[in-house]
Amino acid sequence: MSRGTSWRLALRLARRDALRNRGRSILVLVMIALPVLAVTAADVVIQTQDVTGVESLDRRLGSADALVTVEAQGSPVVQFFDPYDGSGTVGDQGTGRPPTAEQVSAALGGARLVETHLGAVNVRTDDGVAIVDGTEVDLRDPLSRGLFDLTAGRWPTGPGEVVVNQALLDQGYARGDVLGLTDDGAPAPTIVGVAESAESRTYPVVAGPIGSLGIADREGDAGQPSWLAGGGPVSWDQVRTANALGATVLSRAVVTDPPPTSELPDEMQGWGGSSDDQMVAVIVLVVVMALLEVVLLAGPAFAVTARRQSRTLALMAATGGTPAQSRRVVIGGGMVLGTVAALAGVVLGIGAARLLLPVLQHWSNTWFGPFDVPWLHLLGIALFGLLSAVLAAVVPAWIASRQDVVAVLAGRRADKRPSLRSPILGVVLLGIGIAGSAYGATSSSSGEFAIAGSAVVAVIGMIFLVPIVVVGVARLAGRLPLSPRYAARDAARHRTRTVPAVAAVAATVAGVVALGIAVTSDEAQNRETYRAELPDGMGSVSAYADEAPVDWTQLRAAVAGKLPDAQLTPVRGIIESSTPDGPSYWLDIKAAGVEEPDRLLDSYGSSWGASTLVGESAMTNLPIDVPEGVRQEALRMLQSGGVVAFTDQGVQADELRLELHRWEADSEDESVERLSVPALMVPVALGNAGPQAILSTQAAKRLGAPVGVSGLLVSGPITRAQESAVSEALTATDTSSSFYVERGYQADNETVIIQLVLAALGGVLMLGGTLTATFLALSDARPDLATLAAVGASPRRRRWVAASYALVIGFVGAVLGAAVGFIPGIAVTYPLTNGYSEATAGHYLDVPWLMILGLVVALPLLTALIVGLTARSRLPLVSRLD
Amino acid sequence: MNAPTSAVLRMDAVTRVHGEGATEVHALRSVSFGVHPGELVAVMGPSGSGKSTLLTLAGGLDSPTSGTVSVEGTDLEGLGAAGRARMRRTSIGYVFQDFNLIPALNAIENVALPLELDGVRTRTARAAARAALDEVGIGDLATRFPDHMSGGQQQRVAIARAVVGDRRLILADEPTGALDSDTGESILRLLRARCDAGAAGVLVTHEARHAAWADRVVFLRDGVVVDETGADSAEVLIDSGTPR
Repeated sequence: MSRGTSWRLALRLARRDALRNRGRSILVLVMIALPVLAVTAADVVIQTQDVTGVESLDRRLGSADALVTVEAQGSPVVQFFDPYDGSGTVGDQGTGRPPTAEQVSAALGGARLVETHLGAVNVRTDDGVAIVDGTEVDLRDPLSRGLFDLTAGRWPTGPGEVVVNQALLDQGYARGDVLGLTDDGAPAPTIVGVAESAESRTYPVVAGPIGSLGIADREGDAGQPSWLAGGGPVSWDQVRTANALGATVLSRAVVTDPPPTSELPDEMQGWGGSSDDQMVAVIVLVVVMALLEVVLLAGPAFAVTARRQSRTLALMAATGGTPAQSRRVVIGGGMVLGTVAALAGVVLGIGAARLLLPVLQHWSNTWFGPFDVPWLHLLGIALFGLLSAVLAAVVPAWIASRQDVVAVLAGRRADKRPSLRSPILGVVLLGIGIAGSAYGATSSSSGEFAIAGSAVVAVIGMIFLVPIVVVGVARLAGRLPLSPRYAARDAARHRTRTVPAVAAVAATVAGVVALGIAVTSDEAQNRETYRAELPDGMGSVSAYADEAPVDWTQLRAAVAGKLPDAQLTPVRGIIESSTPDGPSYWLDIKAAGVEEPDRLLDSYGSSWGASTLVGESAMTNLPIDVPEGVRQEALRMLQSGGVVAFTDQGVQADELRLELHRWEADSEDESVERLSVPALMVPVALGNAGPQAILSTQAAKRLGAPVGVSGLLVSGPITRAQESAVSEALTATDTSSSFYVERGYQADNETVIIQLVLAALGGVLMLGGTLTATFLALSDARPDLATLAAVGASPRRRRWVAASYALVIGFVGAVLGAAVGFIPGIAVTYPLTNGYSEATAGHYLDVPWLMILGLVVALPLLTALIVGLTARSRLPLVSRLD
Repeated sequence: MNAPTSAVLRMDAVTRVHGEGATEVHALRSVSFGVHPGELVAVMGPSGSGKSTLLTLAGGLDSPTSGTVSVEGTDLEGLGAAGRARMRRTSIGYVFQDFNLIPALNAIENVALPLELDGVRTRTARAAARAALDEVGIGDLATRFPDHMSGGQQQRVAIARAVVGDRRLILADEPTGALDSDTGESILRLLRARCDAGAAGVLVTHEARHAAWADRVVFLRDGVVVDETGADSAEVLIDSGTPR
């Protein structure tokens, strides 16, 4: 038989077998088509919503051939083909002036230019002030066509008119209203139309002619014009000419058809690509794990197929077939089912994406691109499906080709004894996995990759150990009641079917346990290293001099308006910067009389309004948490003109040296005022987030430090609704102000979601693996169940046997997986929780025992329950006797 | 009417029809006969004569289209599926041609199966199973798995399973079919011994020399009892009356 005919025979047998055993074929199809479907749908959605360079050009350029932006100092620039990917100034200061429109036009070969200004504008809304994307351009010029899509009203005709998008209307405007721009000197244009931006869907947007929003009048870079250029394609050489003038050019022609990368300026050559290796490593790991999981899930079905075919294969062997031909028959099944599953998965995946897109668009902030089917990716995904089916058939094929022909024809049907080779290989691989994890845990950089890689090795090693574990469990099952004893023994007899199912569950649990330990430990570190900035429940208002000195009376009134019952306590401290044009200050406190003094604090914060508080009132009015004795002592120290300083370094000192650094605005020069004063050291916990010291009024005066109200403490309790109301009221009063409420450590929502997703994923995969193996085992066990019926098993017995099967597979898999998952899980906590600062240093390990207990005990029991309830209770009564 | 309660198995005008319309097959037509304690009845007939159907009906694995099957005076149809299963655990024992031991269980566990299924404590069930194995002469193979036993040994285990727990009706479907003649003879001797000890036995076979072990022989052809040797003639006259 030639190679070709032998494959043809194998594929024909496989196709017939697949059609005859519909249930099993559908099972394999689902196992392989589902991941293919999911990945296909995800890929199509990502490709569609991802607006790549060429697709995005219309959105960014409208109908123009190029968009030119200039740098205020006129320094030469370098850029990628698409300046969004990278650009920057090079060389000296340049001409000191930006290039003019004429210069730019000349550089671009005499292109027609339409001036445009882009910038954020503050707009008054129902709730306060919103930051809105503003565009100033002649919207009626053909070059700007496509940037906005007019949906109602008309385009502006003069600088007193603008169009806005629906998102801005939703914040409290209607067509015909005057837009409330809050920036100083901004005009008050009328809304004459509704136009959607080509890019942003939910973010508020406003557009109007030059001068309508006041962006063009701003100083510095903000006021520099950009130009839409028209009149023909802009070449890369023209872009480089414009670059030399200090203009960055987004050219349609260059992005659509980029020149070779060797054309890029030298400064741009080395950019990007640095993280590519890590990215590839991550993708390879993910693909390997996914492939492993799919292969393991589909494996049992092929194992059963191969065993069902064993008689055919034995007859083939008896009539002179070679082992290779036997193998081909089983692998042929993988090829036939893999091909069908891959094609079905891709087609259904594209359909699913098509249906999903409108739903996703509804939740997205930006407009999706045209429906985009990345055929090359999909080919890869389909090949992945085919490969996983063929791989799933390989081991059963190998075993089938080496079966004992005489035993099969005589009707004996047990698997061979487990060989010793595979457990030894398993132990070796597991050892490599542990060593790799240990290396990753101790190595200084990219330890996570070593750990992830060794986790895959450890899981593969574990798979080799599954057979002897299953056999061991069967040995121990002698004392168990009938159903579990039967299930455990039968599982061990049919290892080709049981092992992949157990391994699939184990691999899933190992992954979930490892990630669970990592996430929980990370969370533990965050919780342990959290330091409250204020007493629990209390709020604080801070503000800095942005354009004018802070008006605390107004801020206080804003808070009192929203929280009439709260007690408001002004905080006095050193004002580090009182006006935008005035000097700024910084106070450094050191132990006096020491050559190289220790730091007093590892960290301090300014949540109280200032990092240095001033005056006795701080000690009497503010909730500084010290024992009463220390408070009295501190008061005496402040009365006598000294300083109360906090230390988390255990520094002992009776006298401290204060150094007040002072900078004038627009100047690099620094002057320092020094003063030594008596001091009281108050120890605080490491990781302090409060102020660094309380200065006596006298000492502040002698230093010449500017003292004033620097913050406002608000007594609690403050609800979240009140917090957001106060924040809005404050922003409306002074945009530099902010409101912080201490609520203690708050678990990140993401962490909770990740844990839920992990648990759900683990549950689904465990259910999938267990269900497949159980129902295959039940169909395989038909003769045994008929015998059970004949000797008097009640109909319910089948349910018990089914549930026991599920329990054996789920429980053995979960225990093995949890044990293996601990290796990378614990290892990865070392690089993960290795803090940088002294306060966060150390190693945090928190094992999510509840989740692991759920995976190892509750989930197998739940799966068994589901299997028990869904299994048909009718025993195949007469099949044996027919 | 003769006291039918004395019979362990009693079939009255039992008809079993498979399929309907054009594909309708009458596997049994109005068959009646009884088996008494201490009696071994051989059922003979060519392939397709309804021998196996008769046995599945007798064991409550299948239900008659019409007529009644009663075991130890209880109508099987009236029991429901669970009740019939209980009867198979406590009153009826099956022996099959191809042994039908459960390969995942060892010899003693296979024998103890009906008792364990009936909720007997494992220790008690195993003691009874060991006694049954001793009785069939393979007590030393108690912990062997079926795959590691010869055909004769497996059939002895199957017989031990059929009689364990003092069940009084043994239904044997070609029990020697897969065995060489010497081994087959020893199995039949075992079956005969059980019946002499008080059980009622039905032996389905197509070999006349095996029928020699039986007290009576019932001949079936196309689902009808065509002849019966050594039977109580009055019973035959009454019970096998009008064939449809």
